[in-house]
Amino acid sequence: MLRYLLLTLAAASFLYPFIWMVSASLSSENGLSSLTLLPVEPTWSNYVNMFSKIPLGRAFLNSVLVAVVTTGLVLVSGAMAGYALARMRFRGRNLIFYLIIFTMTLPMQITLIPNYISMVKLGWVDTYFALIMPFVLNSLSILLFRQAFMGLPQALIDAARLDGCGELRIIFQILLPNILPTVLTITILTFMGLWNEALWPLIVIRDEPTMTMPQLVTLFSVGGRAEAQLGVKIAAAVMLALPIVVLYLFFQRHFIRSMASSGLKD
Amino acid sequence: MAGVRLEHLAKAYDKGPLVIRDVNIDIKDKEFVVLVGPSGCGKSTLLRMIAGLESITGGHLYIGDRRVNEVPASERDIAMVFQNYALYPHMTVFENMAFGLKLRGLPKEEIRQRVEKAARMLEIETLLDRRPKDMSGGQRQRVAIGRAIVRNPQVFLFDEPLSNLDAKLRGQTRIELQKLHRELNATMIYVTHDQVEAMTLGDRIVVLRNGDVMQQDTPLNLYNHPANQFVAGFIGSPPMNFLPGRICADGPLRFESRGGMLGIDLSEYPQAATLRAYQGKPVVLGIRAEHIRRRPGPNERRFFRRLVPVEAVENMGSETMVYFPLETQRFIARLSADYPIPADQPLDLFWDLGKLHFFDAETEVAIR
Ligand SMILES: Nc1ncnc2c1ncn2[C@@H]1O[C@H](COP(=O)(O)OP(=O)(O)OP(=O)(O)O)[C@@H](O)[C@H]1O
Ligand SMILES: [Mg+2]
Repeated sequence: MLRYLLLTLAAASFLYPFIWMVSASLSSENGLSSLTLLPVEPTWSNYVNMFSKIPLGRAFLNSVLVAVVTTGLVLVSGAMAGYALARMRFRGRNLIFYLIIFTMTLPMQITLIPNYISMVKLGWVDTYFALIMPFVLNSLSILLFRQAFMGLPQALIDAARLDGCGELRIIFQILLPNILPTVLTITILTFMGLWNEALWPLIVIRDEPTMTMPQLVTLFSVGGRAEAQLGVKIAAAVMLALPIVVLYLFFQRHFIRSMASSGLKD
Repeated sequence: MAGVRLEHLAKAYDKGPLVIRDVNIDIKDKEFVVLVGPSGCGKSTLLRMIAGLESITGGHLYIGDRRVNEVPASERDIAMVFQNYALYPHMTVFENMAFGLKLRGLPKEEIRQRVEKAARMLEIETLLDRRPKDMSGGQRQRVAIGRAIVRNPQVFLFDEPLSNLDAKLRGQTRIELQKLHRELNATMIYVTHDQVEAMTLGDRIVVLRNGDVMQQDTPLNLYNHPANQFVAGFIGSPPMNFLPGRICADGPLRFESRGGMLGIDLSEYPQAATLRAYQGKPVVLGIRAEHIRRRPGPNERRFFRRLVPVEAVENMGSETMVYFPLETQRFIARLSADYPIPADQPLDLFWDLGKLHFFDAETEVAIR
């Protein structure tokens, strides 16, 4: 009984700010001050207002494009590098592995400026390349893939090789389907990270049609264009959070299912 | 179909020591050869070299007339069955068996026919839609064999395929493998550390130790004429009894045990002449458990008689194992179960002199 009480309390404390945010975005500007939990003088005007002021639809598509393409590339590069580090014998393998681990310890502030300079030199500023390329090699993804591949039996690879598989087919057709939990973890982590990334786009994108949602919403909220209307800012924040919530609800079921069904035995 | 020829084959992992040394085996077409030896002797390594899963450090490997040292695994026309089956967990049984054929670009219809034929042969037709995790160990084993059969390879390789099965299933599968060998009429190379499997399956057995071939011959020849003490001790269950001692030839030919408790008159020993040359030298006497008997045969002079204290008796139903100490060794006699054997009385036993083996104590090579 006590347990349920505590869990309910915890759930409420997580949910409250979120419900408040949605309610606030649906309240009229005047009603905001008297808001408790449910919208006061419900209205869509904040949303209408926001959509008329910034190209949020375009930014949404940009965000989706960048997050999907980058996540895909992170999976491909991570799987290939992780496989090589886990399963191939070559000189300097451990050195390379430790170097990759080392890059994980570098705080992002240190690489921010050098990365920006690279983007300028490559002429990628204000292009999708600037949003995608710096993220396609992800050391965490490589590390997780390496660990997962090391856990699979060597005989699986041997059998595939005798069946006529090359390395790429072994990675993507034989091994990946057997480490779906890892694939899903990396997908979620990478996707969320990219989706919420606001700082890097602020640095490399100045061109509004190329902006992603977080960047646009940030600029909109702190830059003067919301005209100090709190409701409109909050509506933008709701739009930013919504896809992640939907995605989470969708993935949660798959996440648990894939965890349960991967019963691989050596 | 084709034979497999190993010429001076050698293997070292990553600049390490040689784990396979100068191995020469000529496996004939349709022959069933068993590689046997203790754990770590290099059986799997040798098999994986034949399969193309490990590089070859030295020597030549031929499949048929083709030298295949550098040929990739998928082009050697071989199929392999692994100890842990190595089925693809995310594919159904049908997909598992069809996968290799699909990659080879066979037409769908032919793939279906081949898979169904193999499934019928192995009696797994009803399992074709299952996934590996929903099957028993024995069923997975069949699927693994099926996956090899559909490929219709020149050579089948097996790496301890029965070791994950329980004793009863292992016995059944052993018989089915024999049948399969006759039906498929293919060359088979089979790795095991179980000498019963080796004896029952092989046309020929190759005994390995530390990467060296100790002896290769038919099962019966290995059993009756082991070339060295290692093979004598490894093949046969229970293992052969050994007793160190030396040869005395100053009077009549005799074997004296090292502790001096035992002297055996060898004037009736069939190879007495060769033994004479070992006069005064240390040797090891060997005798199998079934060659120590309760009663002598008709020609009593060909038996060595000795009263021994019984240490333990194991009644197996069909036979009785009697354990008795002899100097530093523990001997086993395999006796008929017809008479009860009391564990607390000394027992009169007869050693068949015609079945004695002698080994050079230094080189461990058989004296024949
Ligand atoms: N990948 C490897 N790298 C380095 N050494 C290896 C490797 N695989 C095997 N070895 C070594 O090679 C030797 C032979 O190993 P192998 O696996 O062939 O033995 P085995 O006869 O199959 O033994 P088991 O009966 O335990 O399977 C062993 O000393 C082992 O330590
Ligand atoms: Mg092995």
